[in-house]
Amino acid sequence: MLEYVYILPLLCFAAAGLILAFGKWFPGKGASIGIAVAGFNFAVAATLFFKALGGGLQLPYEHSIPWFSFGEHLATLGVYVDGLTIAMLIVVTTVSLLVHIYSLGYMHGDPRFKRFYSYLSLFTASMLGLTITSSMMVFFMCWELVGVCSYLLIGFWFEKPSAAYAGKKAFITTKLGDLGFLVGLLALFYCAGTFEISKILELAHANALPIAAAGGAAILLFFGAVGKSAQFPLLIWLPDAMEGPSPVSALIHAATMVAAGVYMVARLYAVYALSPAAMNVVAWTGAITAFTAASMALTCFDLKRVLAFSTVSQLGYMMLALGAGSFTAGMFHLTTHAYFKALLFLAAGSVLHAVHSNDMREMGGLRHKMPITYVTFLIGTLALAGIPPFAGFFSKDEVLAGALARNPYLFLLGAVAAAMTAFYMARAFIMTFHGKPRDAHKHDHAHENPATMTVPLMFLSVLALISGWALAHGELFEHLVNFEGALPFELHHVSHGTVALVSTIVAVVSMGSGLWLYRFKPEIPAALREKFSFFVDMLEKRYWLDAFFLMWVDIGDWFSRFLFVFDFEFLDQMAIDGWAWLTLKLGAVQGWIDTYIVDATVDMFGTVSLAGGRLARTVQTGFVQNYLLFVAVAVSIFAAIAFSG
Amino acid sequence: MTLYHYLALSGLLFASGVFGVLTRRNIIGILMSIELMLNSANINFAAFNSYLYPDRPLGQVAVIFIITLAAAEVVVGLALVMAIYKNLKSVYAEDYNILKG
Repeated sequence: MLEYVYILPLLCFAAAGLILAFGKWFPGKGASIGIAVAGFNFAVAATLFFKALGGGLQLPYEHSIPWFSFGEHLATLGVYVDGLTIAMLIVVTTVSLLVHIYSLGYMHGDPRFKRFYSYLSLFTASMLGLTITSSMMVFFMCWELVGVCSYLLIGFWFEKPSAAYAGKKAFITTKLGDLGFLVGLLALFYCAGTFEISKILELAHANALPIAAAGGAAILLFFGAVGKSAQFPLLIWLPDAMEGPSPVSALIHAATMVAAGVYMVARLYAVYALSPAAMNVVAWTGAITAFTAASMALTCFDLKRVLAFSTVSQLGYMMLALGAGSFTAGMFHLTTHAYFKALLFLAAGSVLHAVHSNDMREMGGLRHKMPITYVTFLIGTLALAGIPPFAGFFSKDEVLAGALARNPYLFLLGAVAAAMTAFYMARAFIMTFHGKPRDAHKHDHAHENPATMTVPLMFLSVLALISGWALAHGELFEHLVNFEGALPFELHHVSHGTVALVSTIVAVVSMGSGLWLYRFKPEIPAALREKFSFFVDMLEKRYWLDAFFLMWVDIGDWFSRFLFVFDFEFLDQMAIDGWAWLTLKLGAVQGWIDTYIVDATVDMFGTVSLAGGRLARTVQTGFVQNYLLFVAVAVSIFAAIAFSG
Repeated sequence: MTLYHYLALSGLLFASGVFGVLTRRNIIGILMSIELMLNSANINFAAFNSYLYPDRPLGQVAVIFIITLAAAEVVVGLALVMAIYKNLKSVYAEDYNILKG
């Protein structure tokens, strides 16, 4: 079965082309192809997953064919499958399938329906390629491809200027990180001499890589993850990416693509584990991201953006876990988060589809209108807040335990972020579904969505409910995904029970206070908002990160203007035109010399000849007597000379 | 009467001939002056002959030749003068300036 795993991305690529070119001749305008391929992929991935859990697979599996050679190096195309790959594979295929189905309802009647499915398939293909590839070079290609798909899908409704802008912003911001990724990749190639993941890991495990160089390469590669996984400070693109359709937000900007950065760190974990500096960078970036993004979500009124901030924050958790040395916890959180965050996004999309607004201030009281969405959103909220026994509790608990084992300050940041998470989710939940309808017109028109949208919600709810418990049970996930190398630091011993208790208490208290405040005392948060308007402003402006990056854009703009002026006013005017002016002047001088010296010399000969001629002809009077006179005079003179001598 | 007297006469005659050629405006006058110069030469021939070789009339022969030549020369000269006069309607030498450069 593993021998055929390479077929999954290829099938998706083919489906993408097929839908785009011939989609209209297939049932559902091509959606049927996308769903069929996604279903097949899911079936394969699920089979592999359960086989791997049961220990029925020989892992890691690697097979590759030569692609091209450069120098003495050989680039290959191939697959590398281990437990990590399978964990990622099941996440990608599950969410992809459910989003494909959900989009049937959500995108119904969209003029670019076919293209949407084509893009979804292309994205899935790239993501699967990224997941199973055996070469970092192909990994990078797929990494960029998912970025392109992200750009295309964020800007899917490009008639809206904000969507076009958001697409551009996402693309450019992630490119900023990708620059580091590319340099890191080359640095890694320089250290390891190969792009093969298995060989790189082998070298790293054998401690055969120069530690400083490998750490530098790892940190540079992490820049790519910072861009792609929207870590601090490049987190600014993800909230704006919510301009895309909600299924896209669920698939790309919650479950899979943004997790690609985390997956990359996990994939090369052996390299990261060589360098304490790289691990610290990852951990602290993650912790700061988790904290800042969670705080930004507190004041946001856009339902999808709250979820986007939450996604950023949760990705920060994953990075925190990986950086703190809790490999399994990081990947575990990735898995559970993919399910409950996809659920939340799809549920939010369902609300949006009914209400036609993102703004929570125009919602309220929707629980009677949309019962299925209400219940599924509640499950997602509880999972995200980390209330036992939902999925988020298990994974977040492990992340926090891992953070505490590494450094109490990391734990503190994580715990505060967890408290904020529970609070803002309670806030969003209450503002959307409870209380009195704040916009009667929108409330009246709201209705529960068709089964194509609610069934994926229910399915994901089940996953959000049980995936944490099921995978934590008997350390199933740990058997599948585990890092078997040495960490560059000692971990403290931590009592899991205590951490679980603390995090549960924090989550319950925080969520309870959120529920109570927004349900019964909405005037208190409003008053606080007034009172701390500076902080609210700071959070709404995302700690001025946007302004910070725009400042750089402005500086670049200014600099290019300066260069333009320099070029136009100085180089063109002084150098080019000046040269022309100088040439002109030199030409004038040369012209003068030519006219008044060279030509004059030439003319002089003529003039002198003419003058000589004129002088000579005066003798030739034409009077014969004159001539005779000359003769007579001459003869007289000669005679005088002759006689005197 | 010595040779010098003859030579002086001949010199005076030649000088007046030259003077006439250089100063006369009339072409006929110029031709006449030329005759004077020829005749001064004739005097020289005759004088030298009678003083150097009195027994042989060599000079006189030359004189006869010159007179003949002068007659022929006058014929040609007057013919030319007639032809020029027909073209230019003038007998004055200053009008004959078509050789001017």
